[in-house]
Amino acid sequence: MLRSDQILSTVEMIQKENLDVRTVTMGINLLDCRTANVQHTCRNIEERIRDKAGSFVETCNLVSRRLGIPVVNKRISITPIAFVGAGFDRDGFVELARCLDRAAISVGVDILGGFSAQVEKGMTATDREFILALPEALAVSDKVCASINIASSQKGINMDALAMLGRTVKDIAIRTSHQNGFGAAKFVVFCNQPGDNPFMAGAIHGLEEADTVLNIGVSGPGVVARALERLINNRKGNGSRLRLDEIAEEIKQTTFRVTRCGELVGRQVSEILGVSFGVVDLSLAPTPTIGDSVGEILQILGVDAIGAPGSTAILAMLNDAVKKGGLFASKTVGGLSGAFIPVMEDALLAEAVGRDELCLEKLEAMTCVCSVGLDMVAIPGSVDADTIAAIIADEMAIGMINNKTTAARIIPVPGKKAGEMVSFGGLFGSSPIMPVRNVGKSSRFIGWGGRMPAPIHSFKN
Amino acid sequence: MSRQFIISVLSEDRPGIIADITGAVYELGGDLAELNQSILCGYLTMILVAAFDTAMAATTLLARLEAINSPTRFDFIVREIEASPPCPEIGAPAKAYIMTAQGRNKKGLVHGVSSFCYRHNINILDLATTRTGDTYTMILQLDLTKVTAVADVRKELQHFAEQNGLQVLLQHHDLFKVTNEIPF
Repeated sequence: MLRSDQILSTVEMIQKENLDVRTVTMGINLLDCRTANVQHTCRNIEERIRDKAGSFVETCNLVSRRLGIPVVNKRISITPIAFVGAGFDRDGFVELARCLDRAAISVGVDILGGFSAQVEKGMTATDREFILALPEALAVSDKVCASINIASSQKGINMDALAMLGRTVKDIAIRTSHQNGFGAAKFVVFCNQPGDNPFMAGAIHGLEEADTVLNIGVSGPGVVARALERLINNRKGNGSRLRLDEIAEEIKQTTFRVTRCGELVGRQVSEILGVSFGVVDLSLAPTPTIGDSVGEILQILGVDAIGAPGSTAILAMLNDAVKKGGLFASKTVGGLSGAFIPVMEDALLAEAVGRDELCLEKLEAMTCVCSVGLDMVAIPGSVDADTIAAIIADEMAIGMINNKTTAARIIPVPGKKAGEMVSFGGLFGSSPIMPVRNVGKSSRFIGWGGRMPAPIHSFKN
Repeated sequence: MSRQFIISVLSEDRPGIIADITGAVYELGGDLAELNQSILCGYLTMILVAAFDTAMAATTLLARLEAINSPTRFDFIVREIEASPPCPEIGAPAKAYIMTAQGRNKKGLVHGVSSFCYRHNINILDLATTRTGDTYTMILQLDLTKVTAVADVRKELQHFAEQNGLQVLLQHHDLFKVTNEIPF
C-alpha cells in the first residue's frame, strides 16, 4: 500500500509543479509511399498517416484521462522527406509540405516533423532541391517542421550545405516576415541528429527505425525547481549544510519520477494502438509558462544572473543528473535526453537576454554541456547570411568534436533590431532580440565550402 | 475441525501490544493468517485472522485475550468466520484510483466524500485523513471496477468539489506506483 506522503508528493508534482508528459510522438515510415509522380506520392502519404495515426490523438487523450496526467502535445515524425521524395524538384517538395500539412490537420496532431534531409557528408541533387524548397514549404504549411543534419562526429561538417543554409534561414524568415520570421522557428540545423527524438522542430523517423514507433518526451523543469526549493528550505530550517552532490542526487530522484510517468503513458498508448514503444527522451524542456523554466533552476542553484560565471558548470551538473535519474527509470532511453535552453521558450532565459546578462557567446558555451544547442534564438534581421552560417558552424563544431547532438534554431527577425521584443505566442514564447557581435566578419571562412574533416577520434574501427 | 476467527483489538498504544496478542493466540495453538494495524491519536487498532486446528470456541479465545496482563485497557471483539474462501490476494484491482481531497476544515467532509463514492458505486479500499492547521486532507484508495465511465465520475467530482470548496484530484493508482516504486 502506498504511503500518504508518497501520494501527496506525486499529487504536488502534477497539480502544482507543471508535471506533464510533454509529447507523445508517433514515428511513421513513408519510404514506400514514393511513386512515379508527386500527386500520387502525396495521396499515399496522406493515406499512410491517416491509417497509422487516425486514432492516435484520441488514444493519447484517453490514456491521459484514465491516468489523470496531461499529455500536452501529440505529434508525428516521418522519414526524412528528402529520402521519400528522391528525384523530386523544388516544386515537388513544396507539394509534399502541403500534403503533410493536410495529413497532420486531418489526424489532429499539434505538429509534424521530418521535413528533413541528411547531408553531413555530401548533397545529392535532390538534397539541393529540398533546401531550395524550404522557404516556400515552411511558408505554405502550418504544422510542418523541418530539419537538416549537416554534420556528424563520423563524417565532419558539410560546409557547402552550411553556406546554403545561412541564406536559407534568412529566406525562411523573410518569407514569413508577416509573422516576424516565424518560419525559422520551425527549422533546425543539426549535428549528430538522432532518429528517435520526439521533440520539435527536429523530430524525424530515422531510417534505422521500424515502420511505426512511439517515442515519448518527458519534461518537468518546474518539478525539479520545486523539489530543489523544498530541499534547500528544509535544510535552512534544520540548519544543516547542503552540498552540490546532494543537490545532484535530488535532481536524479526527481527526474526518475518524472520519467516513470512518461514511460507509463507511452507504454499504455503503444499497447492500445499496437505500435511498438521506442524511447523515452529525458529532457528538461521549458515552456514559457511561469514556473516551468530551466533558467530558474540555474538561479536556484546559485547564479543571480543567468549567464553569470558558473552557469555552464551548473548546467553540466543538471544535464548529467537528469540523464542519470532518467536512465534507470526507463527501459529504453534515446532522443536528445538532457536539459534544453531554448531562449524564447524559457521566460527566465528570455528575461536574462533583455537584461544583457546572457549573450550569444555564453549561450554557445552552455550548449557544450547540455542537450541541443542554440535554440530559439532571435537575432536582428539585418545579420547577413554568412554570419548566420558561421554561428551554425560553431555550434556544429561543438557537437562534432564532443560526440554529442547540437543544433541551431536561429530566427533572424525581419525589420527588427537587437533589444526589440518578438513574440510567437503559445509554446514558442517570446524574447528580446539578441545582439550579434562581429557581424559580417566570417564570409571568407564560409566562402571556402567543401567539408570540414571529421575529428581524429571518429576513427575508432 | 479447523476454525477461523477474526479478532479486533483497540488499546492505547504502547510497545508490546502485538507481542501480547499474538503470544496469546500462539499459546492456544492458533495460526495467524492476516494482520493489519493502525495508530491514530495515540490509540492502536488491530484486526487479525487466526486459524485453529482444534475445536476452539470464541468465548475461550476471548477469555484468553482478556486475561493478558496489560498496563493499558484492551477492547476485543472475537467473531468466528467461515474458513473459506481464502482472503483475496493483496494487490490493487485493475481500476484502482487514488483520490486526494483538500480544503478548509469543516464538519461533514469525510461524510460528503464517502457518500459521493457510495452514490457512484465506488468502493473505498483505504482512507487516511490529516488536519494541518485549518487544512483538511483526505487520501482515498478507491476501486472503480463497477464504474463504467470514469470521465463522468470526474465531471461530477469536479462539480462536487466546487460545491464543497475542495480541491479534488482523481488519478490512476499506476501513476503513484511508478513514481514511488522501482518495479514496474
